[in-house]
Amino acid sequence: MQQVFSIPKSMKKDFKYTFCPGCDHGIAIRLLAEVLDELEIQDKTICAASIGCSVFIYDFLNVDSIEAPHGRALAEATGVKRACPDKVVFTYQGDGDFASIGLAESMHAAFRGERLTALMINNTTYGMTGGQHGPTTMMGQITTTSPMGRNREYYGYPARMAEQLALADGCAYSARVALDSIPHINEAKKAIKKAFRVQLDGIGLGFVEILSTCPTNWKMTPEQAHERVRNDMVKTFPLGVFKDVTEG
Amino acid sequence: MEKNFILAGFGGQGILLAGTILANAFMLDDKNVTWYPCYGAEMRGGTVNCEVVVSDTEVSSVHKSNCDYALVLNQQSFDRFVKNVKSGGTIIANSTLVSESKPRDDIHYVFAPMGKLANELGTSKVTNVVSLGVLSSVIDFVSKDALKLAIEKVLGSKKKDLLPLNFKALESGSELIAKV
Amino acid sequence: MNNEKVLIKGNYAIAQAAINAGCQCYFGYPITPQTEIGEYLSGKMQELGRGYVCAESELAAINMVIGAVSTGVKAMTSSSSCAVALMQEALSYACSDELPVVLVNVMRAGPGLGYIYPAQGDYNQSVYGGGNGDYKIIVLAPSTVQECIDYTYKAFYLAHKYRNPVILLADGLLGQMMEPACFGEYPYPEIDNSSWALTGAKNRISRAIYSCARDEKKQINHINHLFEKFELISKNETEWEEFEIDDAEIILTAFGSMTRNIKAAMKVLRNKGIKAGCFRPITLNPFPHKRIYELASKGKDFAVVEMNMGQMFKDVKYAVNGNSNVGLINRPVGEWLKVEEIVSAVEKIMEKDYAASI
Repeated sequence: MQQVFSIPKSMKKDFKYTFCPGCDHGIAIRLLAEVLDELEIQDKTICAASIGCSVFIYDFLNVDSIEAPHGRALAEATGVKRACPDKVVFTYQGDGDFASIGLAESMHAAFRGERLTALMINNTTYGMTGGQHGPTTMMGQITTTSPMGRNREYYGYPARMAEQLALADGCAYSARVALDSIPHINEAKKAIKKAFRVQLDGIGLGFVEILSTCPTNWKMTPEQAHERVRNDMVKTFPLGVFKDVTEG
Repeated sequence: MEKNFILAGFGGQGILLAGTILANAFMLDDKNVTWYPCYGAEMRGGTVNCEVVVSDTEVSSVHKSNCDYALVLNQQSFDRFVKNVKSGGTIIANSTLVSESKPRDDIHYVFAPMGKLANELGTSKVTNVVSLGVLSSVIDFVSKDALKLAIEKVLGSKKKDLLPLNFKALESGSELIAKV
Repeated sequence: MNNEKVLIKGNYAIAQAAINAGCQCYFGYPITPQTEIGEYLSGKMQELGRGYVCAESELAAINMVIGAVSTGVKAMTSSSSCAVALMQEALSYACSDELPVVLVNVMRAGPGLGYIYPAQGDYNQSVYGGGNGDYKIIVLAPSTVQECIDYTYKAFYLAHKYRNPVILLADGLLGQMMEPACFGEYPYPEIDNSSWALTGAKNRISRAIYSCARDEKKQINHINHLFEKFELISKNETEWEEFEIDDAEIILTAFGSMTRNIKAAMKVLRNKGIKAGCFRPITLNPFPHKRIYELASKGKDFAVVEMNMGQMFKDVKYAVNGNSNVGLINRPVGEWLKVEEIVSAVEKIMEKDYAASI
């Protein structure tokens, strides 16, 4: 009998699934593990984890990991890479970590063209603390700290990171993907792989913004949450590749 | 014995370099020495100064407000540091730019036309080394050999071509007071 | 390697000593009066093919160090007072993560932006820390340019030996002054980091270095472990210097570059017939509490001389524990306390005027 589905080698065998039902972290982490397997880099990869729900990545992945203070993942990743240029180094961060408290570290890693891979989960809210308004919260979105919805007067506009990263000379690849459907998941995996390839080829920073769900804080069912990604989020955060220096 | 020096001038007169040469000379004479600059915003415009403390034993402290010797290359530095010379101490001034006044009567004054001599040697840039020559004739605890070696050390291999001029400046400086 | 005496600035001495110690990466952000460290290392590290980043902030710099040392290599950052304040969060993490971070703090005046002139106002920031939770950092305070070299070497050694952050606490005076000094060779053995360093999970299970503490019991054990470790550090590594202690009635106490001034003041006092001694903690953490307690128990009074409002004073007082008198001779910032000022203040203290603050 042929086994057609198994836990990737880059994942731990004994992890306990701790994310909420319908949360896309699980899919993102599995895709990441598949990419590490396929590129055969699991045993030379080091992860800089962040703060928020994404911190638990080291519970799932069978790769060496260091936890960074809130927002500093790309600074720590830079330190790891400069100390060990032969290692593959990536960060796995939420939108609050990457685009708010860590914006300086994120942008400067891109400006410097660090040979790193950065993955940002965009679920338009601070998930772990219970769904507050954050840098990627969409216009009109109700959160615990935007009870009347995000408006221009009090909150300004959401940050579109994939587009911003694309502007940095040192960023080799920047894409936005979603995990709401099989085709999108397949696209996401390709993007993640590409973001590692540009690092492996020594070109520069690879960045993927992953549109993701937070059904608990959005107060939605998993199905409704994925519909929101598909129908609403992509309007503010269009999917696509915003920069790929290896093309053309 | 512990003696301290304040060396002062305006930016570009090479006063920090003069202090560095003097400190190196003391080191080569096997003395304990500490060099300390004024630093930061003060360095741009106005006076530049540094302090050199030499001692037979461990140097006790820097950042002293009073000195045994003040070596000043411009009027501003003279006015600022003449107050800081200890009673019985000596101020050595570049009379090319400093008027020969004696505002206190409890210190010694040495006025020497260092800038003029440097110009005669070809460039005012060596005023700092001329001043070290003058200083070496005032104090008896730094050897001219050590100063020469120190100049070599500080200028390094990159500026070897400047050595003869600087040695000349040191030599002429050390004879300047006798002439005056 | 090099036993030649060279006249060198404290900042350059620290930088070159880091290179000699095998520091593989330097990350920093400019701030007076320590900028020369980064300037010197920027070129040298590139020549040597080692890591160097002029970081976007001190926050980034210290976290880059955390990243680098997590792989087992030696790495450091340097900064000054108000910018070291930005690094406090990371130091708390590094202590919990047991990472060998080396941080050089060339102190300037505070609070706030303060100014670029030297001061000693970061005793509390270094010894007690500004980060959250229970943690302890090893703090070494050099007093001469030669010691800037010696204790930079030691900082790397202790950091790796105990897997604990180390602060080299210098000041603007030491950073900017030039003195004759010898580099010699890095005198300590290399520490094997292979049991914990992140090198990629090859032929072993993966490792994670983190401070996140979901299990209360485990966290209690972890904190206890950190403090037991520091007890050991305290037992093995507490370092101090003392002079003319035996017959001393009053012991001048200072740290860092102020040590030089109290030694000179002691000589003047002795010439005046006052039985003065000197005591100088070299490790500010672990602090030589025990030795001070012993001396105080013999009835010897203390006069703490420092360029702050009495930060080490509190530790001396705590160590003396009421067994003798402790005076404070201080100035918050500015011109280093002069030998004559110290002498006259000690004379006042000897007349039992313990608040002889200048």
